[in-house]
Amino acid sequence: MQKHITEQNLNALLDKLIAEGKRVVAPRLNAGTPLYEPLKNSGEMITDQLPRRSGKEAFFPLCEDIMSYTKEGQKVELKDIDPARFPETVLVGVRPCDAAAIPVLDAVFSWDYKDEFFLERRKKTTIVGLACTKADDACFCTAVGLSPSDTKGSDLFLTPLEGGGYACETFSDKGETLVNNHAGLFSEPNNAKAVALAEPGTEAFDLKKVKAWLDEHFEDPAWDSIATRCVGCGACAFVCPACHCFDIVDEGTEKSGKRRKNWDACGFWKFTHHASGHNPRDQQPKRYRNRIMHKFKYYDDKFGQTLCTGCGRCIRLCPVGIDIAAIVEEISKK
Amino acid sequence: MTQTIDTNIYAAVTEAIQSEAQRILAAGEVTAIVGYAAARRKGSAQPIVITSADDAQKLIFTPACVNNLAVYLTKAKKEIPKSGRIGIVVKGCDLKALVGLMGESQLKREQLYLIGVPCAGVLASTIQPDTGLTSDSIAPKCRECDAHLPQGCDFVPSQTPVTPELEKKYAAEIARLEALTPQERWAYWKEQFSKCIKCYACRQVCPFCFCEQCLCDRNKPQMVDTTPRPAGNTAWHIVRAMHLAGRCAGCAECERVCPMDIPLNLLNRKMAKELKELYDYEAGFDVHDKGPLNSYTEKDDQSFIK
Repeated sequence: MQKHITEQNLNALLDKLIAEGKRVVAPRLNAGTPLYEPLKNSGEMITDQLPRRSGKEAFFPLCEDIMSYTKEGQKVELKDIDPARFPETVLVGVRPCDAAAIPVLDAVFSWDYKDEFFLERRKKTTIVGLACTKADDACFCTAVGLSPSDTKGSDLFLTPLEGGGYACETFSDKGETLVNNHAGLFSEPNNAKAVALAEPGTEAFDLKKVKAWLDEHFEDPAWDSIATRCVGCGACAFVCPACHCFDIVDEGTEKSGKRRKNWDACGFWKFTHHASGHNPRDQQPKRYRNRIMHKFKYYDDKFGQTLCTGCGRCIRLCPVGIDIAAIVEEISKK
Repeated sequence: MTQTIDTNIYAAVTEAIQSEAQRILAAGEVTAIVGYAAARRKGSAQPIVITSADDAQKLIFTPACVNNLAVYLTKAKKEIPKSGRIGIVVKGCDLKALVGLMGESQLKREQLYLIGVPCAGVLASTIQPDTGLTSDSIAPKCRECDAHLPQGCDFVPSQTPVTPELEKKYAAEIARLEALTPQERWAYWKEQFSKCIKCYACRQVCPFCFCEQCLCDRNKPQMVDTTPRPAGNTAWHIVRAMHLAGRCAGCAECERVCPMDIPLNLLNRKMAKELKELYDYEAGFDVHDKGPLNSYTEKDDQSFIK
């Protein structure tokens, strides 16, 4: 279904959804830092900046409670978190690089174990994508098979038009329901041209060739030259729309506490530190190798997909300038 | 008003670094050099370790050479060869960290070959690397730099940086926070710490965070909650600030790398100010055997005992 919506009506739509009690998550400024966060009103939404963290946290939060316990004398009580409590959500203004990562994550969260936290939120969330108009030289969505107008992952997709307003296209029942439930705010498509979209400068990688090299080069001196500089923080994984490793910890006292799920990162020394004291990834290049292997080989082996959407966040935020696009390009030329 | 900062000398500085690096590697005076190399993004730079004289021409110095490379010489970085003498490209601010590490018996002066950089400043963290250096794009720490020309190095290119006087932002911000009530100040830091995602980038780039196992990574017992929630975040940032008091010399790497824009160097500068007021002590230019928080004298202020 194709429609048109004015900026004013898009704001009215968001305010209406908020008034209905839905959680509306969109890019907004938090003390100057752009983040996907629940809006109090539509005026908070910004559309001109890529949020510092990705959209994955609408489904896979930085930290969430997964269970709680209380103990009194000999009586121990365990309480599950009821996923039914997750609110109906509309995730709006999602960049194509962020939206495209969500179906990629579906594969792992509904694989041998069905992660009810992720899947329940996923079920209850409608994703409104927004075509991207601004790229910098860290952006490389076009190198991994996506584009600034890619609709992958979006239920409804907005393309900004010359002269204002957005062209809307639906890609799922959820998208159609959203439009139908608020039909008065949408009009029939007009002939206005889309504004100039972003043009990332990177050429498409030959991902098959990259994978073929990775298949054969678990041990290779290249890993040292690539990642000796890595200092072992989790910044790349935490801002990544596709990284999804987590750690589970119990926090509290003997009497009561919570079991919590936190983001984790393969760059951390502790990530593979065994209880025995042994660490199979004892040096940083081995940890960084896992980052590349997981994104461009293991995930492909297991799910036939690439675990990178080219958002460029890890490149912009790496403390030591590690550039995954440059690394993958280098591998593709080997 | 935006002021342009002259970085014309950086090209000559780059050439001088390259020829010195070439010479000392070829002569076998060092086994490796830690420096900066150009990266893919326009104008960008990244740390590099070179071990061959042929690679000396990869070394550069530009306003994008933001890192404090001292972190690579600590025992936390096991990947860097520590045998023999190591060369390192250092700005004045980075040199202060090396001096501190020598004071803490982590490094020996004779094991280092210091290539000092005459520096007019480097870019702030969120700036595109190909941006020109101006009073707007310069890193906040460079606004109060007192080490444009590193002293006591083995080699320093002959160029002299032109360094205009810039407004000092940390001092002003500390004064603003000091004027708040404790409740207001607590509210400010609570908001800042609430942004923390526990990526530990601040810890990993810090030359003084060289503990073999960070207290915050221990779980027998669990000293600090690992979840990125108020209790664990606050504990982590207070542990960090206290542990760096009297040691941090202000390279501000923690603040530069924070993906969530937490003004971490403010905490460090405040602690440095306290140490100056209480013990007339400054981390930085001289190698001290022991910092004031590691030693006791009868003259120490004891007014806090009530």
